[in-house]
Amino acid sequence: MTRYEIGIVETRNVIKTLLDTYSYDFRDFALTSFKRRLEDVIMKNGLRDSEGLIGRLLNNKDFFEHFLKDITPETTEMFRDPSLWRSLREEIIPAIVKSSSKLKIWVAAFDSGEEIYSLCILLKEMDLLDKFEVFASTISDEVTKKIKSGRLDIKQLEVNEANYERSNGTKRYTDYHTTANSSGTIIIDTSLVDNVKFVKQDTLFSNAPSGMRLVLFRNQLIYFNQLLQDKTLNAVHGSMVPGGYLALGAKETLENTNSSNKFTVVNDAEKIYKKKVG
Amino acid sequence: MYKALIIGGSAGSFQVITRILSSLPANFPLPVLLSLHRLKHVRSGFVEALSIKSAIPVVEPFDKDQIKPGKAYLAPANYHMFIELGNKIALSTEPPVNHSRPSIDLSFVTAAQVYREKLIGIILSGANKDGAYGLKKVSDYGGVTIVQDPMECQVKTMTESALKITKVDHVMKTDQIIRFLQNIKQ
Repeated sequence: MTRYEIGIVETRNVIKTLLDTYSYDFRDFALTSFKRRLEDVIMKNGLRDSEGLIGRLLNNKDFFEHFLKDITPETTEMFRDPSLWRSLREEIIPAIVKSSSKLKIWVAAFDSGEEIYSLCILLKEMDLLDKFEVFASTISDEVTKKIKSGRLDIKQLEVNEANYERSNGTKRYTDYHTTANSSGTIIIDTSLVDNVKFVKQDTLFSNAPSGMRLVLFRNQLIYFNQLLQDKTLNAVHGSMVPGGYLALGAKETLENTNSSNKFTVVNDAEKIYKKKVG
Repeated sequence: MYKALIIGGSAGSFQVITRILSSLPANFPLPVLLSLHRLKHVRSGFVEALSIKSAIPVVEPFDKDQIKPGKAYLAPANYHMFIELGNKIALSTEPPVNHSRPSIDLSFVTAAQVYREKLIGIILSGANKDGAYGLKKVSDYGGVTIVQDPMECQVKTMTESALKITKVDHVMKTDQIIRFLQNIKQ
């Protein structure tokens, strides 16, 4: 019943190890959720405490890659917020296609695959999958491997199916995946992501791709404090062309950041913004 | 002497919560954090319904909103709601806990860590054991714990689970909860 808990000082010690050993900077992650995920990693790996975790992290690059995968929250749903996907399908993407021939989209979030597959299904149904260049951030090769394997947890099947239908998908969700195998896994059609360019990124989203017409940056800022929110939004802003669209999570807002004057609101309910010109 | 009030329950406690919110003085001295089970795909309507009769403003916070006294914060659909150091709301899309997102346990545990003995935690009627562990943490950190009298609840799972693992300070009917809250002075 009692859950293992670590303190703030121990959390900071782990963060220091990650910075000193691997130059990955987690200092400006939102403390409460980061601390909680550290506790999960410690329990999952059968470690005794934060010292045990630090011991494993030191001089063990493979464990570090696993750690990056585990410390990054999973997306958990396909087509999360179906109304956002309807808006992309009916308004935003048609507007982009109309105005430009250079079509670039960036999934700028440490996604566990659901966001990328949702986007590629949408583009395929709009007959645009081969016309867009899709970039996806990834924090760890382990995550990229998992996404390319197309393995999804059966537990989420009902939610994903309902979301897909509410997003006004034009086919059936089952057209995109196999039936469950004995271990409760379904495999989604991996050819959907054949042309996705995975870009390995650190926590600051440095080396962002450029020329983006649309950036999906949903439910990522919630894991950062305000300093890192400002820094990563700068990177996202710099990656976009003027007039490009930015989608945040339904309960994220630019109003609490210093990027608010660089964008105009396109759809307030879905938190879709447009980069100002100049 | 208190810094915050946190209430957990399911959508079935809607009427009790409405009664509590409508009975608070307009200058209630604490923030009210509401972690309630609700339909995950219905984003709008709930906060509007709670607002109609409430004596204090009820909002669905955005991430990193500052928590202020005299205002109620309803955990948004399909997000966990944490209380972050610096007296801020932090939202999360991490996997459901006890099949619930928002999870009452997570809101209560993080509130207990921030407000410690200056927190009042109330568990109302609900259909699963979510909230029991959270209320225990409120108690462990020295906060005041209240459970709605299960006799008054249509669904008793949540209240009885909470009573099973924590020696709570008060088991109260809705009227008593209201009187208790009306007597809080800063």
